[in-house]
Parts: sequence; structure tokens; C-alpha cells
Amino acid sequence: MAADYPVRVNNVTKVYESGEIKVEALKKVSFTLKQGQFVAIVGPSGSGKSTLMHMLGTIDRPTSGEIYIDGLATSKMTGDELAEFRNKKLGFVFQSFNLITGLDAEKNVELPLMIVDMPQAERRKRADALLTQLGLGERLKLKPTQLSGGEQQRVAIARALVNEPTLVLADEPTGNLDTKSGDEVIRLLRGISKSRKVTIIMITHNLDITKHCDRVIHIKDGTIEKDVMN
Amino acid sequence: MDLNDILWLSYNDLSEKKVRTALTIVMVVIGIGAIVALTSFTAGVSNSITSTLESLGPTAIIVTSSTNVGFTQSDVASMEGLPNVTNVTPLLTGSATLYAGNQNTSVTVIGISTQGLEQILGGNVTPLQGSFYQDTIAPDAVVGYDVAFPSTAAGQQTITVGQSAALKLAGARTASGGTSSSETVTVPILGILPSHGTSLISIDTGVFISLQAAYVLLHRTSYNEMVVLAKNLSSVNATSSLITTIYGSSARVLTTSQLLSTASSVIGSITILFGVIAGVSLLVAAIGIMNIMLMAVMERTHEIGIMKSIGFKNKHVMLVFLLQALIIGLLGGMLGIAVGAGAAYGLAGLSSGSSSSTTGASTTSSSSFGGGGGGFGGGGGGFGGGAARTGGATFVGGGTTSTSSGLSSLHPAFPVSTILIALAIAVGVSVIAGLYPAWRASKMQPIDALREL
Repeated sequence: MAADYPVRVNNVTKVYESGEIKVEALKKVSFTLKQGQFVAIVGPSGSGKSTLMHMLGTIDRPTSGEIYIDGLATSKMTGDELAEFRNKKLGFVFQSFNLITGLDAEKNVELPLMIVDMPQAERRKRADALLTQLGLGERLKLKPTQLSGGEQQRVAIARALVNEPTLVLADEPTGNLDTKSGDEVIRLLRGISKSRKVTIIMITHNLDITKHCDRVIHIKDGTIEKDVMN
Repeated sequence: MDLNDILWLSYNDLSEKKVRTALTIVMVVIGIGAIVALTSFTAGVSNSITSTLESLGPTAIIVTSSTNVGFTQSDVASMEGLPNVTNVTPLLTGSATLYAGNQNTSVTVIGISTQGLEQILGGNVTPLQGSFYQDTIAPDAVVGYDVAFPSTAAGQQTITVGQSAALKLAGARTASGGTSSSETVTVPILGILPSHGTSLISIDTGVFISLQAAYVLLHRTSYNEMVVLAKNLSSVNATSSLITTIYGSSARVLTTSQLLSTASSVIGSITILFGVIAGVSLLVAAIGIMNIMLMAVMERTHEIGIMKSIGFKNKHVMLVFLLQALIIGLLGGMLGIAVGAGAAYGLAGLSSGSSSSTTGASTTSSSSFGGGGGGFGGGGGGFGGGAARTGGATFVGGGTTSTSSGLSSLHPAFPVSTILIALAIAVGVSVIAGLYPAWRASKMQPIDALREL
């Protein structure tokens, strides 16, 4: 079952408290994602889609409910257990790329492998292979500032994939890119989800690009308003 | 995660921000440099003074007459009869200026038996040139190294064995019993001593003659000084008290250990003062490091969030920052030790330069002191100059003046322990200053660090 549904969200509620004021950002949200599914989450600002991404990314905890990734309950893990979990099971792609500026493309991709103590020669080989596959074979030694936005995002995608995660979380991955680069990134993500059987969940404002996705989850006021299979 | 990789990440970040890193290191260099310079310099001064005071042996008791009567052979015998006394060497000393060719040198005329001379020189010394005198009335002289090779002649030999030199005796008695300020006698030079270095008895600037000859030259029939050796260290204080009781105010009694404790208390307070100064500069460095690292942590908030999101644990993030502090401490410490060593030699050079002027003053004062208390004259020429007088002035009273070589032999001391301690302080201070910023970095929540996603 875990293999069929590597991601299971079960009655997740998130309440933000600020003094007397309580805001329910998510209200008993439940869904499952299949392996290799390319899913878009859409919704207006303040709808709770970012909160949901934080929960899935295990960088914030639900107030109640549980998220299972590869069958593992994440809400009870300690900070360090979560760090290890993120390293092994998750990949992140951000709107503003979020590469480490002091490291070249190759080292940025190697970073997750450093954490698991992979020997340097092996992790370099893997990073190089992945970057080459993403069309950056000539740009390995360049620092992020020397790369275009599209190239930076491809480095970020390589970094997200290098540990062969179960789930890749992409937050507005095309938000800072021109239309052409954005399209390339979306095609890349879709291709990856199919060829590598990685589940990808993507937040976007751009309804136009959701047509490339297998499934579009509409969030509004902390609940799933619509769940559409393409 | 491998420590090498963390170290590499730390180093990489430091090298990305070269100016900031260099400035941080400079702060450590200043703090450690100050500590190393000041402690090694004071340790050098301390060594110099200690070796001066100990050159006669830690059991030596110097008895100096403060009257014109001086000591007689019966005084020597009664000293020898005291319990726990192994040896008594009587001396008859006076100040003089030696003229040889166109050179004139301030010297101390020391009348001493050949056996006593051997004792003072530490035994088994052969002259550099020529030979020792005999215990006869002949005014044959053996001169110290600095007399034959005066520093004013740039180390050139100005006196040779076989020649005669004119001695103008200062403050010596006249034959009639009065005081003459200028009586000149001629002495044949029989031998030249090898360089002896710092000593309580001014060996390198001494003109040694037999006691019998000294009686004649200085118009005295008594000694003005005795070097009494106690049997062992524990009997020094009792023996010196006994001698003080015997002579009362007619003699000054000094022991090496008294001088050492006075000198070391002076050096101790100077060391503390210097330590406080250096400590303050180190404290400023620590605050600076903490400030810079806190800024770096703030600046890297976002990157810390990224690192945590891809799996860096708290300890990994903490180590990245702590290792940066460690690298800064190590580099700053090593550079600081080098800079401090250079500065210490510079200070020593300055002090040695100034000592030649103060030495002249202290030698001159020796003759007029006659027998008054020396005390620790501070004053001119920086600390080194003061130190020269410290050793000198005390003995000046007796006529055996401080030596001019006192500070030319001042070398800053760099024991391995100093270097290791300085390095440990540098690393310790940096790491402690880095602890709080590193801890703050490690405790950052990825959700707070990453404002998006």
C-alpha cells in the first residue's frame, strides 16, 4: 500500500495561534498521491497551499492529523530525525532556486550526498551525470551567479533528485523564470516524474501550466475545493 | 556527515568573504600578538634579572660595609665561624675610569684573591688572553671582556696583554686618609677574561687585582664587601638574620633570594599589568568575532534554511560555524605569535639601546652611593632601562656595580609552552566567541529560515 501511495495525508489540521487569535490554515485535509504522479496545487493567497507544502516538506508540523511518506509517520519525528528524513526522502525546488551561492553547480548538487557520507569520487560522478542529463554538462564548475535563471533552476532540480527521493516539492518553480525557461522546467519535471517514478507536488499560480500535470488539487480556505485528474 | 566535508564548507565560506575573514583574523592577531610580545618580553627581562641574581649562587649572602672602617680579616674569620657558612670571600672594590690609548671606560676595580676570583667566575676559568695574577703586592691586573673589547669601539680590541693602562680612581681615599676625586695609577695588564655575561659582580667591566695591590691602590687596610656562602638554601635566611644582628646598621646584608623575591614581585606586577592590557585587546577581539559571526549567521539565515531543508542536522550547522571560528583562531593565533615575537624582539632592541645610557648613570652613582640603600630606581629608557638599574642599583651601594652587559643579553623568552598557550588562547577565545552565533544558527527552524515554499 505504501508503494502504491507513497504520500498519504490524513486529516491534517494546522492552527496558527497569535495571542487570542486562532487561524485555521488547514482543516482536516486528506488525500493520497500515487508514485510518479505530477500534481499541481493551486489556490488563492492565504488558501493554505503553502501551509500544506510546509507540512509535506516536514519543515512544519500539523496541529493534528498525520502525514505518511513511504509509510513513515512524520509528525512525531525529532528535528534531527526529520533532517535525515528530508535528506533521504524529499527533494526541494524553490521559486528563487535557493542554491548555496558560494558553491559551484557540482558542489551544490553534491551537498545532499555529503550528508550521507558518500565518498567524494562517487558523489561527484552522480552529480556530474545528473547535471549532464539536465543539459548542464559544460556548466559544472560555475557558481550560481554565473548561471541564468533557467540553468540555476535545473541545478536546483538536480540537487532535489540526486538522493533519489520519494517526493519532490516544487514551490512556484517557474515563478522567477521567463515563459520559455519556465516551460522547459515544467517539461523537465514532468519527464522526471515519469522516467524516475518520482512523485512531484508543485504549487503554482499559473493555471496554464497545470495542463502538464496529472492532477490538480484546488485549495480554498484550508480545504480541498476541487481535485481534478487530467 | 564527514568532518572533512564540514571543514571544507567552513573554509569555502571564509574564502568567499576574504576581506571580512582577514579583518576578523587581524583582530585575533592583535590580541595574541600583544600577549605574546608582552609575556615573552617580560619573561626575557625576568630571566635576565634572575640569572643576574643567581650568578653568584642562590646561597650567596652579600655583606656590604656601610662605614669607612670596613671589614678586617677578623670579620672574615668570624663569618667563617658562623654555623652553616661554607665560604667567605672578601672584596675590596672601587670605581675608576680606565684610559688606554684614546679610549676611556668606566670600570670597577676589584681587589680579590686568586681563589676568590675563581669562585666568582664559577671555577675553572682560564683567561681569554694572558694569565691570572699572583696573590702578591704587584699591581698586575686582569680585565673583563668589555674592558678590553669596549662596545664603544664596536667590539674592537683596545687593550692588549702586556700593555699598561692608566686608572683614574674615583672617590678613592688619599694616602692621608681624605677623599680624592682624581688619582691616577698605572697598572700592567696581565690577562683578559672571556665574556662572562650578566653577573652581580661586574665581571665584564671589572679590573681585577690582588687584594694586596688593592690595599695600596685604594689606600685601604680593610675590605668593604664579603660574599658569604651559606651551606644550603634553607639556612640562607637564618644566616643572613644572624649577620644582620651582628653588624646592625654598619653593614647591609643582601641575599640572592631577597633580591629575587623583590625583583619577581616587581616583574610580577608588570606582568599582570601587561597581561591585563593584552587581555583587554583579546576581549575586544572576542567581541568582534562574535559580532561578525552573528552578522554572518543573520546574513546566511536563508542558506541555513536551505541546508536544513536538504538534511543538515543541527550539529552539522553548528560545526560549520564553529569550525570557521576555529580556523580564524588558528590562523590568527599563528600570525599573532609571529607578530608578537617580532614585537618582543623590537622591544628588547629598544631596551638594549637605551640601557647603555642608563648604565653609565648607574655606574657613576655607584661611587657616590658609598653604602646607601639601592632600591629599585625606575626611570629612563623604558622598562628595560629600569630593569638594568633594578639589578644594578641594589649592588651599586657596595661598589660592585651592575654590569653594562646586563641588558645587551636581554633576549625575549619563547618557551614552547608560551607558544602553545597562546595558540590555545587564540583558538579558545575564537571558538567561545563563535559558540553563541553557531548555536543560534543551529537552532534556526527551516520554516523560519525559509520564508517561502
